[in-house]
Amino acid sequence: MTPSPETAAAAVPPITATAIATCLGRGAAPHLAAMRSGRSGLAPCDWGGLPIACHIGRVAGIEADPFPGDLAAWDNRATRLALAALEADGITGRIAAARSRWGAARCAVVIGTSTSGVETLERAYRARADGAPLAAGYSLRHHNDHQAVAAFLQRLCGLDGPAYTISTACSSSAKALVDAVQLIEAGLADAVLCGGVDSLCRTSLAGFDALELVSRAPCRPCDAARDGLSIGEGAAFLLVEREGSGPRLAGFGESTDGTSMSTPPEDGAGAHAAMAAALQRAGIAPAAVGYVNLHGTATPANDSAECAAVARLFGAQVPVSSLKGLVGHTLGAAGAVEAVMALIAMEAGLLPGNAGLATPDPEIACAVLAESREAPLSHLLSNAFGFGGNNCALVLAR
Amino acid sequence: MKLSARIGGVGLAGPGLADWPALSAAIAGAPWAPEPGWQPQPACLPSRAARRLSPTIRLALMAAEQIGPALPAEAAWVFASSVGEGETLNVILEALRAEAPAIQPLRFQNAVHNAAAGQWSIAAGLRGPSTSLAAHDDTAGAALLKALMQLRLERLPVGLVVYDAPMPPPLHEKRPFGLPLAVALALVPEGPEAPGLRLSARLAPAATHPPTPPGTEIGRALAASGNPAAALLPLLELLAAERSGVAALGLQGTQVLALGLEAA
Repeated sequence: MTPSPETAAAAVPPITATAIATCLGRGAAPHLAAMRSGRSGLAPCDWGGLPIACHIGRVAGIEADPFPGDLAAWDNRATRLALAALEADGITGRIAAARSRWGAARCAVVIGTSTSGVETLERAYRARADGAPLAAGYSLRHHNDHQAVAAFLQRLCGLDGPAYTISTACSSSAKALVDAVQLIEAGLADAVLCGGVDSLCRTSLAGFDALELVSRAPCRPCDAARDGLSIGEGAAFLLVEREGSGPRLAGFGESTDGTSMSTPPEDGAGAHAAMAAALQRAGIAPAAVGYVNLHGTATPANDSAECAAVARLFGAQVPVSSLKGLVGHTLGAAGAVEAVMALIAMEAGLLPGNAGLATPDPEIACAVLAESREAPLSHLLSNAFGFGGNNCALVLAR
Repeated sequence: MKLSARIGGVGLAGPGLADWPALSAAIAGAPWAPEPGWQPQPACLPSRAARRLSPTIRLALMAAEQIGPALPAEAAWVFASSVGEGETLNVILEALRAEAPAIQPLRFQNAVHNAAAGQWSIAAGLRGPSTSLAAHDDTAGAALLKALMQLRLERLPVGLVVYDAPMPPPLHEKRPFGLPLAVALALVPEGPEAPGLRLSARLAPAATHPPTPPGTEIGRALAASGNPAAALLPLLELLAAERSGVAALGLQGTQVLALGLEAA
């Protein structure tokens, strides 16, 4: 028997707190304001010293923020982003309350990241002579190790349950939310701090540029003239608890393209499979979804494939937009960053517009929202797709 | 909620350990020495295509392809590695020291932690769920936790591949692994027809369930390599002997994954 949306959603552990930091600012308020106005946080690249003309979504001020002295070994750009996200919206108090309620050993941590603290390692490589060892003071474990951010958060928040890192490129932190719900449903934890962190780094800037996927202008998802992505950085967290009130991950779907490391099939078959699985798990028909948050990276091939899949599954009527014109592509953090932004929009009764859209692509058969508009929303779907053909779709419900 | 599965197949790749029978024999006492200059050679790719992939990816594929036949096409896959693509990362980081770095596009897309999972999905034509994870020295514990959770909640057979390869200098000195090692397990739901030994798991306090040390010479040698995949050796020793027993894997907190293996 297919459960009704209400019963399916009610059985899922709630998201009791969220946190976010991107180039738009720290906390829900600047994100809601930007989604309402369409004001982008992207700016000409002033970071990294690379001869790559592009726009980036840089989080202001993190270099000068205080850093907890007892955890100084973990001080890098990724953990600083995590701290920037945690400072707003009272999430640290909610985490502390969850810890007291459930016990530290029942509180898990699952973080999605693609590059962790590699930015510190990049500087360590540049500081050494050709062929020389890395500086004695460089600690791989505290910086570029994939687990570094999760290990830092475990210590910062005093959470003693299982902790691990999902690293499936740009779908990483959407999948971290899936793991959070699974850990609670499997009885392995009562609260899970999940989310995603990825910082600006030369590896990502130069790598995407080498693939000729970086736009020289602020990215224009779904636009006829779109010509690539803008790289952003950010951190977003969701606290999922066994009991409490808040929105829920009503469904999720995971799939693999199995065809290419970096280019989706033209019909977006893998994206379609992930979205269809997410709806099935949520026990809802496509028509119940009031908004689709596109992965929408603004590369010509990605947006075409994704929109083809969305149109095939939902029809051409469902409002869709990409948030990457506002914050850029935050890579491994994108799944959590955009899920949290979509939750902020849902709470406010807002359908966020597709910043950067000037001339809709006639080949895209979706109702791309040029501007934001007010509308009540009970269910939304948020996509995150990564290299390796790794797809994850989330259905979030009030 | 009970986490359990049948182990429907085992894959293995390492120097002088081309497959699971080779490790089983070594566990039973057959002589073993790491083969100098050993290179992983997966059979699922033409050798020219394989040469374009990092040794780490080839290592993971070599173990994955050994359990592929024990799993249906819709199985979920969990790939787990502590350091992921260290060799590729090093090449990129060296290139990034230049004022105007030139990075090979194919190298960049194969630098992601899930490069092995992606290449396996392409080689095997897979379309189902695939996850890649890391948890420092507890990568094997987190991987088994995720795989058993996926199997129980998604009701799908799961292919699990735990692997790490030594990194080149200067990364090697910061996290040295003495040898490459990949372990793959085909985990299938329990049922009257299900083959293999029964594996169960629960969380237990680390204080009362310290991580189990390996009990054989090769088990100790592999553990001494520092390779995080070797954390599975105590479980593999029980499997090779088809013997009931328990083992514990760390999970980066105060809990461990307490495993039980039941021989038929």
